[in-house]
Amino acid sequence: MEIEKIIRKVWPKVRKKHLFPQIPPPKVIEGGEEVALEIKSKQLFISNSFYEKLKDTMEGEEIVEAVLDHGITHYMYCPWDFHTHLTLYNEAKKVVRKKEVAQKATTYFMDVVTDTYCVKEKDTKIPNLYKNLPKTGVHEVLASLYEKIWGVDLGGGGFDERVNRLSRIPYLERKRWEESIKKFTKVIQDILEEELENEQENPQRRPNPLGEHSLDNYSLDEIDRGLRDFASAVQDLQEFKETVEDLREELEEKGYATGGMGRGKGNPIDANLLYYMKLAESYTLPIRKLPIEKRGDLHPHSHMPWEMGKPFADIDVWTSFGKIMPGITQIWMKREGETYGELEGTPDCLIIIDSSGSMINPRERLSYAVLGAACACNAYLKNESRAAVYNFSDALRGNKIVLDFNQEKEQIYQAICRYFGGGTALDLGDIQYLLSCADNPDIFIITDMQITNLEKLIGFFNQIENRVTAVHLGHNVHPTRSKEGTETKKNISLFNIKDKEDIPKIVLGKIKEYLASTSEWG
Amino acid sequence: MPKMKNPFEAFHQTSSRKREIPLDKILKSKEETLSKVLKGYEDLLKNEAKDLVWLMQYSTVIKAYSIAEKGIEGIEYTAEDIEEFCYALDRTDQIPYLITGPAGVYISTLCNYAKEEEIALHLRDLNVKINLLGYRLPPNKKLIVEGNVGDFTGIGLDGGELIIEGSGKNYTGAGMKRGKIIVRHNLGFNTGHGMTGGEIIAGGRIKGLGKIVGGKIFEREHPIFPNEGVKPFYF
Repeated sequence: MEIEKIIRKVWPKVRKKHLFPQIPPPKVIEGGEEVALEIKSKQLFISNSFYEKLKDTMEGEEIVEAVLDHGITHYMYCPWDFHTHLTLYNEAKKVVRKKEVAQKATTYFMDVVTDTYCVKEKDTKIPNLYKNLPKTGVHEVLASLYEKIWGVDLGGGGFDERVNRLSRIPYLERKRWEESIKKFTKVIQDILEEELENEQENPQRRPNPLGEHSLDNYSLDEIDRGLRDFASAVQDLQEFKETVEDLREELEEKGYATGGMGRGKGNPIDANLLYYMKLAESYTLPIRKLPIEKRGDLHPHSHMPWEMGKPFADIDVWTSFGKIMPGITQIWMKREGETYGELEGTPDCLIIIDSSGSMINPRERLSYAVLGAACACNAYLKNESRAAVYNFSDALRGNKIVLDFNQEKEQIYQAICRYFGGGTALDLGDIQYLLSCADNPDIFIITDMQITNLEKLIGFFNQIENRVTAVHLGHNVHPTRSKEGTETKKNISLFNIKDKEDIPKIVLGKIKEYLASTSEWG
Repeated sequence: MPKMKNPFEAFHQTSSRKREIPLDKILKSKEETLSKVLKGYEDLLKNEAKDLVWLMQYSTVIKAYSIAEKGIEGIEYTAEDIEEFCYALDRTDQIPYLITGPAGVYISTLCNYAKEEEIALHLRDLNVKINLLGYRLPPNKKLIVEGNVGDFTGIGLDGGELIIEGSGKNYTGAGMKRGKIIVRHNLGFNTGHGMTGGEIIAGGRIKGLGKIVGGKIFEREHPIFPNEGVKPFYF
């Protein structure tokens, strides 16, 4: 095909122009004569039919170069990543309230930013491409805008009031994109709504010639990362929920259901769960490890120079720079774990979470209790330990969840996120049962300490030797009681959380004094 | 020894072509205009609200207006610049303090002296409700405000047409002489207080009328002044 030859010729030049982005060579697809470009993960696809249709009015190389400039700049500048895409969508949605209109506004805004960046910063044929593309609806307004802000003749014109407003937006100021997309959307809102109405009436819709921007543009890892950053950046749970609900179908189609870390076919997406999952990924809680048992196996411990006659199997190729030469090559010295002659490990953890009426409903607002518990869960699971959950309100009346030790993240999160409301009483029998299911597990309890049978709980903690991380939320007198009650116990650590930022200060399994030799840990 | 190849050589060969495009000029000129407009507003505050206090009185409004007129002298601006200024008022990083009275007088002055005959201000997302918008709006001027406005809207209206695509508060159209105020939604107390002519048309409810000398007031298309129950007041 002619276009393939052109791509082979143009691609090195375009890559160089954009400073060698790490994306594979573009491929050609048939069909779709109205859409020049498709982007899937990091793969660009150029439509042969589009090329064939346009090549009578424009040089073939120019078409390919312009389309590639556009596509690559989406990777290199706007949106750059999925988080930026979500943020822009979220801002547009605040203006228009309708999912489809917000998606359109986001697509057009990203195109304006991308193309303006190319025109200003690179030697590009994009203006030529626009000159030859059909101009209807929003494209007519955008062509007039480009004429004004790029200073080129594209055969457009008109829409003075709108174009005046659009031309005052600082498209190339990344820091102001959130404010800019709002302004942009407001100016073209009525045209977008009209376009949507027309599409709904007429199924043969006219697509964006330079491609739509959807979740297809991103890999699952990029979506993971984007959702995590978005969860940290949004002002509240509702904002996150609304955006995820809007994208639910696309996320599920992409295989992003809630199995594991949101991957795989299975249950439909629970936006609340996903919010806490993603937010918790932003925090890493350290766990003090514990000598668990002597395994007797050897592990690489330190380096020593390799000498002739020593086994090759122990050579560390990374520190030997790939050379086998006495004096340069290094081998691993293996030895058994030295901490008390045993390997360190992480025990399982019982997460006790209070979901009584005095706690925040995690499905309505950001609950630090749930976030804290989610962070603890992540920390233990990452260390290949298991977690059990005891979620309670008035446990004596059955308002409780008792989840046995397991490594199923989604199941654990579901148990953590359950909200009962009502009174606060623990059933110590349940806790004793769960503790008996694992070998000396850690306990992580998160509550505002307004527990009816708090004295009993303190008494119980005083009897056991498990490491207890007790996290108290907010201000009240009850933690003083707990503190006084457990003061002499070295295995109980109390933390107070007043803000989201206090969560990373929690150290799981911290103990005031753990055997004489490790007292500095406390 | 073979010469080592610089792995970044290919990058050195790339040439960057950064060029100025009309967008740069537009944005630069916008920033310059905004800073001039802001300076005019700051001068007004320095003169009229030294202690960050501004008393809403007939004489203070007149004085503020004449200072604002001097403040904007020689500034080339458009309706979009006025709108930018309104949003700048909302952002504390650009203006240290916002006093809604002088701000309203200043915006009204900008509108009254703008080149355009029709000015549309899209203020739906503004956090503050600005008072005194449309003050002394002259004939042949049409000011359309999208969003809700504060007290004393359209006072002393002097022949212009003021359209509020939202609600107004108290004393709307007080002392207006001629012209038209159309408010899509509701109005507060003392509407039309001291007005001598012109029309106020409210699409929603009016909480209360002031002492009205002349003119016409409509509530949901029904004339409520003058009518049998409400007679003109003579000061």
